[in-house]
Amino acid sequence: MDFANLAAQLNAGTILPEGIVIITLLVVLVGDLIVGRSASRWLPYVAIAGLLSAIAALYLQWDNTNPVSFFGAFNSDDLSVIFRGIIALSATVTILMSIRYIEQSGTAMAEFMTILLTATLGGMFLSGASELVMIFISLETLSISSYLLTGYTKRDPRSNEAALKYLLIGAASTAVFLYGVSLLYGLSGGETQLSAIAVGLNSANAGQSLALVISLVFVIAGIAFKISAAPFHQWTPDVYEGAPTPVIAFLSVGSKAAGFALAIRLMTTAFPLLTDEWHFVFTALAVLSMILGNVVALAQTTMKRMLAYSSIAQAGFIMIGLIAGTDAGYASMVFYLLVYLFMNLGGFSCVILFSLRTGTDQISEYSGLYQKDPLLTLCLSICLLSLGGIPPLAGFFGKIYLFWAGWQAGLYGLVLLGLVTTVVSIYYYIRVVRMMVVKEPQEVSDAVRNYPEVRWDLPGMRPLQVGLVLSLVATSLAGILSNPLFTLANNSITNTSTLQPAVVSSVGTQVDVNQTQPLID
Amino acid sequence: MNLAEGVQIVSFGILAVMMIGTALGVVLLPNIVYSAFLLGGVFISIAGMYLLLNADFVAAAQVLIYIGAVNVLILFAIMLVNKREDFAPLRNAWVRPVFTGLVSVGLFALLGTMVLVTPWALSTQVSAGDSAIFLIGQHFFTDFLLPFELASILLLMAMVGAIILARREFLPDQVMSPTKQQPILTLPERPRELVSVSSDKSSNLDDGRRG
Amino acid sequence: MQLQYFLLLAAALFCIGIYGLVTSRNAVRVLMSIELLLNAVNLNLMAFSNFIDPQAIKGQVFTVFVITVEAAEAAVGLAIILAIYRNRDTVDMEQFNLLKW
Repeated sequence: MDFANLAAQLNAGTILPEGIVIITLLVVLVGDLIVGRSASRWLPYVAIAGLLSAIAALYLQWDNTNPVSFFGAFNSDDLSVIFRGIIALSATVTILMSIRYIEQSGTAMAEFMTILLTATLGGMFLSGASELVMIFISLETLSISSYLLTGYTKRDPRSNEAALKYLLIGAASTAVFLYGVSLLYGLSGGETQLSAIAVGLNSANAGQSLALVISLVFVIAGIAFKISAAPFHQWTPDVYEGAPTPVIAFLSVGSKAAGFALAIRLMTTAFPLLTDEWHFVFTALAVLSMILGNVVALAQTTMKRMLAYSSIAQAGFIMIGLIAGTDAGYASMVFYLLVYLFMNLGGFSCVILFSLRTGTDQISEYSGLYQKDPLLTLCLSICLLSLGGIPPLAGFFGKIYLFWAGWQAGLYGLVLLGLVTTVVSIYYYIRVVRMMVVKEPQEVSDAVRNYPEVRWDLPGMRPLQVGLVLSLVATSLAGILSNPLFTLANNSITNTSTLQPAVVSSVGTQVDVNQTQPLID
Repeated sequence: MNLAEGVQIVSFGILAVMMIGTALGVVLLPNIVYSAFLLGGVFISIAGMYLLLNADFVAAAQVLIYIGAVNVLILFAIMLVNKREDFAPLRNAWVRPVFTGLVSVGLFALLGTMVLVTPWALSTQVSAGDSAIFLIGQHFFTDFLLPFELASILLLMAMVGAIILARREFLPDQVMSPTKQQPILTLPERPRELVSVSSDKSSNLDDGRRG
Repeated sequence: MQLQYFLLLAAALFCIGIYGLVTSRNAVRVLMSIELLLNAVNLNLMAFSNFIDPQAIKGQVFTVFVITVEAAEAAVGLAIILAIYRNRDTVDMEQFNLLKW
C-alpha cells in the first residue's frame, strides 16, 4: 500500500493536541539542556503555552465526524475530548502553582515540567484509548510519571517513602489489571479492540462465565486504584502526605479524571454483557469510599491528609454517575469533574501558599489566618465550602446534578447515603474555615503569629496568585453561571456514539466502530 | 517447531518444575542474593515455555531484556544497598505468611477452577511459527503504531526520571543560602512531631502493632 | 499439549507472586515478586496467542509491550529504592513508617 493511503487510514489529525504536548515537553527538555539553569525562568511559561494550545486544538476536535484513528487504537470522540481538556487544564493550573514551590525546594524545574507533561500526555491518551495495548501503555505512562513526581524531593524521607509505596502498590495493581486484560483477550477469541472484544464475547457466549467475572473484578481493581476508591485507597493518604503538593494537586484531578474516562469507556464498551455485575461492584466501591473517606477525614490533623480522604470521598460521589449508567449520569460525572477541577486545585493552591509561607500544613496552625491574609482565607474557605457542597457555590450544583441523575436511575439508597455523608463532610470542611476566622488573639497559632509579610512580587509568586484567583473566580461563578458547563457536559455525552448504544446495552450496533480493522492480512 | 509430542510434554514438564521451584525460591529463601539468581532461573524457564509456544522472537526478547537488563539491574541494586542487615523480628511474625499462604492457595484454587471450567475457543488454524517476527513487525507499524510511539516517550521519561532520582547530589548539607528557609530537595512542610527522621530505633517499639 | 497446562502454570506463578508481594520485608524482593506477577501475565498472553489467535498473534505483540514497560518500571523502582536507602539506610519495608498507613 502506498504512503498516502496509509496516512489517510491512520487519521493522525485526531492526536494533534497530544502532538503539541509532546513537542512542548521536548522543547522543555532540550531547551534546558542547551540554555542551562537560567532557562528555568521561562520554561514553565513554555509548558503553559503548549498546554493552552493543546486545549485550543482540542476545541477544534469537538464534534469530529471521523473520530476513530490509528486503526481503532484511539477514539477522539467528544467524551475523550472533554476528559483530555480536563486533564490538560489541570496540568496548566498545576504548573502555575508549582513554580514557586519547585524553586523553594531547590529541585530542578525543567525535569519537573517534563515529567508532569508526560503524565498529562499519558492521561490524555488514556482518555481516548480504545484498545487494550494502548490502554496499557498510556496507563503506564501516567503511572510511571506519577511515581517519579511523587519521589521528586529526593532528600526528604517522606517523599521517598511515599514514592516507594506508590510504586509497589501501583505496579501490583497494574499486574492484576493486566491479568484481567489477558483473560479478556483469551475469552474474546484474540481481540484487543474494546468494541471487537464485546462482539467476540457475545459470539463466544461467555456472558456469565466465571472467567469473565474474574476478569471484570481484576480490571476494576486496576481502575479503582487509579481513581483511589476504597478499598484500593491505601496509597492515597501516604502519597498525599509525602509527595510535593503540586504533584498531588495533579494526581487528585488529572489522574483521577483519566481513571474515570477509562472506567466509562472500558465498562460500557467491553462489558455490556455484565452490566449488572459491574454496577454492583462499583456500588460497593462507592459505598465504601463515601463512608470511609468522609468518616476518616474527620480525624485528620494535617491538611494534606484531610484532602486525601476528601478526594477518596469525592471519588465515591462521582461513581454514582457511573453506576446510574444513563446519559444524565455520565454528563453529571463530567460536570462534577469540571467543577471539582477548579475547587480542588484552588484548595491545593491555598495549601501550597500557606506551607510556603509558614512551612507547615497542620490544620491547627491555620487558626487566626483571617487577620493576616484575608485573600488566602477567602479563597480556601470558598474552595472548601464548595467541596462540601454549600449553595450557591459550584460544588453544590455538581452534587445536586449527580444525586438527581442517581435518583432518576433508581439508586435511592446510594443517593441517600451520599446525602448523609455530604453532611458529615461539611462538618470537617467547616471546621477548617471556622478555625481560620477565629477572632481571639490568644487562639492565634504560632505559625500565623510569625506570618511573613504578604509579598506577591517574589519570583514565582505571581503565577501562583493567578492560579489562585482563577480557581476562586471559577469556583464562585461556575455555580451561578453553570449553564455553559452544563451544556458542554451534556453535549459531550450525547455526541459520543460509542456511549449511545451502550446505554441501551445492545452489542450488535457497535460493530460499525470496528470497520477499520487492521490491514495486515 | 516440529518437535515430537513426547519431547514437548517432557520439556514442558521439566520447565514447569523448574519454573515453580525457582519462583518459590525467589519468595521463600532468606538470602536476597540467592533469590535474585533464582529469578533468572524463572525468566529462563519462561523463555523455554515461549519456545514451546512457537514464539522464538519473544523468547529471545525475554532472555535479552529480563535476564540481560532487569535481572542484572536487580543484582546491581542488591549490591548497592549491600548492608547485611538482620531485620528486627516482629511479634506474631508467623501470622502474615500463614494467612497470605492460605489466601494465595485459595486464589490459585479459584483461578485453576476458572481455567478448567471455561470452554476456551481454541483456534484450528496453524500457528504463524517462523513468520511470527514479520507479523510482529507489521503489527508494530500498523494497528499498534500509536502505542509503539508512545512507548518511546515512556522510555525516555523513565530514563530521565530514574537518573534524577538515583543521581547522588553532592550538596553542602548545612550551608544554605539565606533566602532559602528549608533544606534543599525536601518538602517545605515540616515533618510531624511524632516521627523523626532517625526513627529507626525508636519505632521498633510500635512495630508489633502492625505485625 | 494443551492450553490449560500453560494457564494453570501462569495462575500458579501469579499466586506465588502475590504471596511474595505481601510477605516480603525487603523492598527489592517485593520488586522481584512484581516481576513474577508480570511474567505470569505474559505467559497467559503467549498461551492465548498460540492457541486462540495463532494467525494474528496479537498476544505476542502485547507481551513485547509488557516486557518493555516493565523494564522501565523496574529501573524506576530501583532508583526509588536507592534514593530511600541513602536517606534511611535500610530496605526493610517494616521500617518505612514515617507515614502511617
